[in-house]
Amino acid sequence: MSVKTTLTITFLVATITLRAAPVLFERDIRPVLKAHCFHCHGEDGKYKGDLDLRLRRLILEGGENGPALVAGQPQKSLLLQKIRNGKMPKGQAKLTDEDIARIGEWIAQGAKTARPEPEDPDAVLITEEERNFWLFQLIKNPPVPEGAKNPIDAFLLRTLKAKGLGFSPPTDKRTLIRRATFDLTGLPPTPEEISAFINDSSPAAYPKLIDRLLASPHYGERWGRHWLDVSGYADSEGYTEKDAERGWAWRYRDYVIRAFNADMPWDRFIREQLAGDELVKPPYTNLNPEQIDKLTATGFLRMVPDGTGSGAPDQALARNRVVADTLKIVSTSFMGLTVACAQCHNHRYDPIPQEDYYKLRAIFEPGLDPKNWRTPQSRSISLFTDADRKKSAEIEEVAKKIDAERKKKIEFFIDRTLKWKLESIPNKFHEPLRAAYKTASAKRTAEQKAILKKYPSVRQISSGSLYLYDREYSAEISKLNAERKKKLAEFLERTRKKTLAAAPEDERAKLEAAAKTDAKKRTEEQKKLLTEHAGMLVEEKSLEKFDAEGARELKRLTERANYFKENLSKKVLDAMNKKAQDVRATKPEEPFIRALTEQPDKVPVTHMFYRGNHDQPKDAMKPADLRVVALKENPIPENNPELPSTGRRTAFANRLTDGTHPLTARVLVNRYWLQHFGHGIVDTLADMGKLGELPSHPELLDWLATDFMRNGWKLKRLHKLIMTSRAYQQTSRRTAKLDEIDPDNRLLGRMNVRRMEAEIIRDTILALSGRLNRELYGKPVPVMEDEVGQFVIGKENLDGERKPGKTVDLKGGQNRRSLYVQVRRSRILSLFDTFDAPTMTPNCAKRPVSTVAPQALIFMNNQFVIDQSRIMAQRLQKLAGKDLDGQLAAGWELTFGQVATKTDLTRSRDFVQKQTVLFKEKKDKQPELTALANYCQALLSANRLIYLD
Amino acid sequence: MGMGGVALAWLLQREGLLAKPVKTEPGAVHNLLPKKPHHPPKAKAMISFFMQGGPSQMDLCDPKPMLDKWGGKDFPEKIKYDNAAQASSKVLPSFWKFRKYGQSGMDFSELLPGFSEIADDICLIRSTHTGVNNHGQSIHSLNSGRIVSGRPSLGSWLTYGLGAENQNLPAYMVLRDPANLPVEGVLNWSPGWLPSLYQGTVVRAREPRILNLNPPAHLRGKPQENYLDFLGTLNRDHVEKLPGEMDLEARIASFELAARMQTAAADVMDVANESEATKKLYGLDMEETREFGTRCLIARRLIERGVRFVQVFTKNQYWDHHGNIKNSLPAACKKVDRPIAALVKDLKGRGLLASTVVHWGGEMGRLPVVQNEKSAGRDHNTYGFSMWLAGGGFKAGHIHGATDEWGHHAVKDVVNHYDYHATLLHLFGMDHKELTYQRGGREQSLTDNQPARVVKEILA
Repeated sequence: MSVKTTLTITFLVATITLRAAPVLFERDIRPVLKAHCFHCHGEDGKYKGDLDLRLRRLILEGGENGPALVAGQPQKSLLLQKIRNGKMPKGQAKLTDEDIARIGEWIAQGAKTARPEPEDPDAVLITEEERNFWLFQLIKNPPVPEGAKNPIDAFLLRTLKAKGLGFSPPTDKRTLIRRATFDLTGLPPTPEEISAFINDSSPAAYPKLIDRLLASPHYGERWGRHWLDVSGYADSEGYTEKDAERGWAWRYRDYVIRAFNADMPWDRFIREQLAGDELVKPPYTNLNPEQIDKLTATGFLRMVPDGTGSGAPDQALARNRVVADTLKIVSTSFMGLTVACAQCHNHRYDPIPQEDYYKLRAIFEPGLDPKNWRTPQSRSISLFTDADRKKSAEIEEVAKKIDAERKKKIEFFIDRTLKWKLESIPNKFHEPLRAAYKTASAKRTAEQKAILKKYPSVRQISSGSLYLYDREYSAEISKLNAERKKKLAEFLERTRKKTLAAAPEDERAKLEAAAKTDAKKRTEEQKKLLTEHAGMLVEEKSLEKFDAEGARELKRLTERANYFKENLSKKVLDAMNKKAQDVRATKPEEPFIRALTEQPDKVPVTHMFYRGNHDQPKDAMKPADLRVVALKENPIPENNPELPSTGRRTAFANRLTDGTHPLTARVLVNRYWLQHFGHGIVDTLADMGKLGELPSHPELLDWLATDFMRNGWKLKRLHKLIMTSRAYQQTSRRTAKLDEIDPDNRLLGRMNVRRMEAEIIRDTILALSGRLNRELYGKPVPVMEDEVGQFVIGKENLDGERKPGKTVDLKGGQNRRSLYVQVRRSRILSLFDTFDAPTMTPNCAKRPVSTVAPQALIFMNNQFVIDQSRIMAQRLQKLAGKDLDGQLAAGWELTFGQVATKTDLTRSRDFVQKQTVLFKEKKDKQPELTALANYCQALLSANRLIYLD
Repeated sequence: MGMGGVALAWLLQREGLLAKPVKTEPGAVHNLLPKKPHHPPKAKAMISFFMQGGPSQMDLCDPKPMLDKWGGKDFPEKIKYDNAAQASSKVLPSFWKFRKYGQSGMDFSELLPGFSEIADDICLIRSTHTGVNNHGQSIHSLNSGRIVSGRPSLGSWLTYGLGAENQNLPAYMVLRDPANLPVEGVLNWSPGWLPSLYQGTVVRAREPRILNLNPPAHLRGKPQENYLDFLGTLNRDHVEKLPGEMDLEARIASFELAARMQTAAADVMDVANESEATKKLYGLDMEETREFGTRCLIARRLIERGVRFVQVFTKNQYWDHHGNIKNSLPAACKKVDRPIAALVKDLKGRGLLASTVVHWGGEMGRLPVVQNEKSAGRDHNTYGFSMWLAGGGFKAGHIHGATDEWGHHAVKDVVNHYDYHATLLHLFGMDHKELTYQRGGREQSLTDNQPARVVKEILA
């Protein structure tokens, strides 16, 4: 604490003594008051204590307690007193010592303004100083400095040289191909690719490599995934505990991948995502692939959590959330500003008045109209054809017939159960009880209610409870079976005894002996004897001949048991249910698109909300871009008569991509830069405004933005420009000088070392084990909870009590690339979660990178890593045969893209041999393989793999 | 940054975080470092024994002479059954005799000789109420505040609010039954929408006991040591080529920390070095109690090492005595009674009971009438049932609340699941309205705007 205070004071003194220019209200004081005080003193018609702080004039005028300011006399100024003694502002957030000192200095200097103040305080919603912020200036096309072939290098070198620095030497070719391959495809280069690159000594080798990588379908997967972070892609609705699945969001994911692979110009990509629906003529039936794509693109505006169709408790709140989150995604994607702050009040730091937020919102409300809301289900557009529909209806007819049969069967069971339950109740109650049961519960008399209460097991017979009676029936059946078995033995014995008694006394012993003798060994005499006294060999089949009464009794028992067997409802009803289900399963699946569309003829009026509260609407707002970047003439119509929809989003998208918007291209190229270098030129991707960072290379940013727009908004071209720069091809090794002058490497005097993202770690492991399934596109690979609650790849198969059933075979789906793994907000794959994959609430502008022990534990112990290591070891055995050194060298080169040195090999061999001995001791069945697998596990765990240098 | 640096960063972070209670904003960084509660706490840790299925209160700790009087007659009041087929209106008296125990004169049936010895440490609540007659929904009420699934569990809230005292072990651990999982399975320790960091870590019945934290059997011991050595060499070689790259050093350190966590986890599971007297106390010498007693002992070892919340489950529906209660209830009691009593005594002896809440209870109780006249049992009852708490600031030797004369409905000083939660959080130094998490545009909490009150009457 004391260190911090000292630092602050030192800093303060330095600031004040060094400040040459006078302290001015608009530039130095107003932003502080705006951030901390306007909320109660000057905004929304609120002037607490009758005090308005928006203009110097008004501060001087003061409020209930008299003037708040005495120019030249800080001590006598109420404003400063209240701030200093901590009375103001109320609440936790106080002004910094620096701000307070500056206000004091301002007053001491005579409380100067930069220019005469206007009559109307509302006229200065945005000051000239705010307007002059770099981000709101038109994007310039600065001249490229001399000194380098690649303009990027020229700009970077200029700042480096100014600090006495330069670029680091180029990295080696192996590191370079690895860097480029991971950057563009998210997968490791193969040894063959590496040697081809190394053996090509022509200057074109590297540009050729980039072209090859840009042409790979995996490029779209890699860069599409970056965009999916920004657009907040998820396969579930979120918001409620249910987190309902989104069946068809993946079509948007595939659209994005295809757009990247096709190098779709970004102005078009933006227009389609914001307003693709307005490019397709409704009604949205019999759509061709191109139209389907355009509608799918608007999935961008349908990515936010949406609980309105899955039981959100407060619908109005949930709807408002969808609109607000969508605005957040739009603004982080294309505007780089925290527009959402202006939802409740004028933005405290950036020139975004609250009105502007609602004007921007008005652009989207025709599609997301809280007053005429459509749930996700009701918004989806079916791709079913008429033929599909007909076939489906026919199948439904069949299924309904089964349903009807089942219903009849239920009635049969209920009737049987009632009859049986009555058996154990005195006769006199039967009729009243039956009548009471059959009477609808609302119509029952008091007597009927009383008798049913006495016999709850009758009262509660229903289609839903039938299965519970099965257990009783089964008990009855086994009881009857046991009784029958006993009785049968008894009756057989009875007949035998009777037969014996009827035989002449002297034959009885012989007869008994004959009966006991094995049938094959009987003498002729014995056979004859037994024929005469057939009762001695009585069997169940022949019992009736000798003991009709006994046979009748057995028959009665059998029938009774059969009667109960017929009552066993669960199996029968379940089978019928399954039959109906199976029939329904033959219906063609109805595909949908998750799209944003407007409701024709409904143009909602957007209102500003008092303090952001959706149930306190105020003035109506017309659609417009933020005024600080808006054109003189607002190009966004309220309702474009040429379109069936309002055309607001089309106009907004056109404005964003018209080549003069100060935000769009800057925000985009800054993001691409981040993905190549690990830092943005402005590193605060989500907030490039006043509270964000200033650009490290403002001119380079502008030049890149201009170049991007002038050359058709093509990203692949920009990749090549960036990647062929010297800056990109440098080594990442630090030097003492660089570390001293530019410790964060903002000037790029070397390359940055970057850790792979969660998805790339998994993809890489699969690629190295050889199991990676490279299939593109399609439905997401399911995620389920395992036995301890980790989220793993797999199809959930639980019973009603959540006990797991059989494992479902995903048929290779488990080895697909990570971006195809279902993004269910409440079930982020544990492996991804541990490595900082984002939870989409609603999106992610920049991923954090953490290094924590649970990540290490995954490499040490996780079953996925263990399994893949073993598979990789088997691959090495195939690649290199029995030669251990060959296996080790192959593993090394596959994993690191480098050739193992002699020392590397010796160490590796020592390790594997040592492990082999241990595993032999442990009676491992394949000690060599297990040891090699453990070697692969170490390779996969190594920094050299997980970090790109 | 070597380990010294990591330790320093950790200390600084800990210092900073201790300054104020947890408050979340989206994008906040989460960790398990200890956090300061809202007010000085009585309780620092909790062991919860969850008797999934619903123990029969009128046969264990809430004697009802009325049942003896009415035995076999029709129950005169309204009743709700779960099992239609076996529903009966006949009153079922308890098969077991009750006596009063301890200074406090707390009633226990003869099935619980162990509990009767700790009567004066127990705060027995006889008026628990969730009011929803299904296992799953009532489990969620008691374990995560509402009947729906998908919300964070109690242990997640506690670790979210307080972190843990030991960074080498998971903050929230679940000791499951070797046979199977309770109803609702893994949702019982779900972090819901809290960050997954706050999920309960399950100790499994077989190796690896803790997934990811214990190595698979074939790598245990020397093989993994060699692997870590070899990996260390690879990583040091690499960082030599990129000197000063902090991230690389941090990752090397993270493997060292992971190895320590692993050792700590293996050590805490190993009860071999406990004294013979302790082992005997927990019933490790007897077939019926060995397995459960070992888990009780591990629970104590976890708490001793600074784990915040331990939940011990009996197997799926172990206490759901719809039938044959005469044999199955005594068997269930036999399994848990001695070991749990031993744990309370042991904690007390070690001076840990004052700061450790011990909880015993299920998601429901049972009905006063017969289910299944052929093999008598009792059906579900969530309208009034018993649970007990000991230590951590709960009033010892105290009976709170009462059910009606049948043991059917809680009628006096009802404690709803949310009252229980508010009281628990209070003892942990937290205000249930203040311990919140920003989600979906609003502040979410364990009690979630239900009319929860801290039950002052059961505080010491």
